[in-house]
Amino acid sequence: MTVMRDTVVKSLAKITVQGDENGLIPEYEVLVNLLPVSLLNTFAERIMAAAPPDKKAQVEEGLVRAAYECGYHTGCGIITSEIFNDVVMPMVTEGEKDILRGAYAAFTAWGWAKSGIVQLKEGERMVIRAFDYYEADGGGEGLRGYTLRGLSQAFFDLAYADPYPDGMDTHVCHQTKGIEAGDPYGEFIVVRK
Amino acid sequence: MPVRIDAVTADGKSESGLKGNLSLTTITDLLQFLSASAKSGVIRLLRQPGGDEGRIYFVAGELVSVVSKDLTGLEGLADLLSWEQGTFHFMPGVAAAQSNIGLSVQHAIMEAVVLLDKRAKENGGNGSGAHKEAYERSFAMQESGRDSTEVLNDLLAIPGIDAVVVIGRDGFVIESVGSSARVNIDELGASLAHSVNGIEEMGTELNVNRFQDMFVEYGRAVIICKPVGDAVAAVVTPDASKLGIIRHKTRKLFEELAQSF
Repeated sequence: MTVMRDTVVKSLAKITVQGDENGLIPEYEVLVNLLPVSLLNTFAERIMAAAPPDKKAQVEEGLVRAAYECGYHTGCGIITSEIFNDVVMPMVTEGEKDILRGAYAAFTAWGWAKSGIVQLKEGERMVIRAFDYYEADGGGEGLRGYTLRGLSQAFFDLAYADPYPDGMDTHVCHQTKGIEAGDPYGEFIVVRK
Repeated sequence: MPVRIDAVTADGKSESGLKGNLSLTTITDLLQFLSASAKSGVIRLLRQPGGDEGRIYFVAGELVSVVSKDLTGLEGLADLLSWEQGTFHFMPGVAAAQSNIGLSVQHAIMEAVVLLDKRAKENGGNGSGAHKEAYERSFAMQESGRDSTEVLNDLLAIPGIDAVVVIGRDGFVIESVGSSARVNIDELGASLAHSVNGIEEMGTELNVNRFQDMFVEYGRAVIICKPVGDAVAAVVTPDASKLGIIRHKTRKLFEELAQSF
């Protein structure tokens, strides 16, 4: 037995996602913003466009870092939540590998990206493929999957680096293909730093 | 099928025959053709280089006897299927001295391919060793010579295949080409993952090693699936009529695909 995506997606998709008085979703035992993706895409596009050429790499790193911080702390909340424990953990037989499968299934269930693991060498390297991540719809130049880069790096750190919160920044994620660049899918590769 | 019909001289008499080169067609295509056209006679094969000889006898399109060097029956057919270069010559009206194969052409090809797989594993060491090698190769993540999409498109080009899909062990549809009016590819991914899980659990319980192949025949579709690295590849065909040939032609492509996953 391993984690079955369809079971996770169906179970998590049933959960009512309703923002509280602050517009946040406490359902997953973490606070998640309920914001339109166009806002995030526009923010990324404008900040990249406004950056001078010699600062673009740093701004890009900042966008990835924001996703990483979010993914590392929120991701830890999610994989230790009651919902994850009830839905995913009973199917986990391959340790961290299955937890990562569950994390990407959850990622898909919540509509962030239809994404999953293509290759995994435990603790060393992971290849992710994503088919409809929202950043592919945003404007700008080059590969722009900042969120998936940050989150993939965060998930891998949570799975294979030192226990939370000491394992930050152990791995790095590179985007090698992108729908926004004309490829049929986005490809993200996580390796040790 | 790109073959040439020539006049063949046997015992001084002129007789029509079928000659060709294995670089232009394959033995499985040839067998299919002779079976479909209900031919009686013998195909004489000469391997190049080496000059090994093989003979396949038909009666009214039915396979009755196969000889390849000192191998006969299915063992002989498996050996012939591994030939990549050589010539063939069909001589009508020649009968076998004795029958050593009692299967339809399709069934015989399928069984012969199973033997070929078995031999390949034995040549690579023991069965589990070959598996270990494939497993480690998938983790070595060496870049395959070709992109997985190219390999998938080659699989799709095999006559009789409607769609090809590669799924992760969790049911994530990693890649697919083609389409099937009968099968929803996303649902196939999820269903296959559940099935493979069950089959692998059974293999563990029975202590018979990891699963290698799965054929599922439904009334309106046949699904063939095989592990490729850490993923599973599946092809969808409308019926079982070309199963033997599909299995034979997909073998190397599945091996190539395993390098990408």
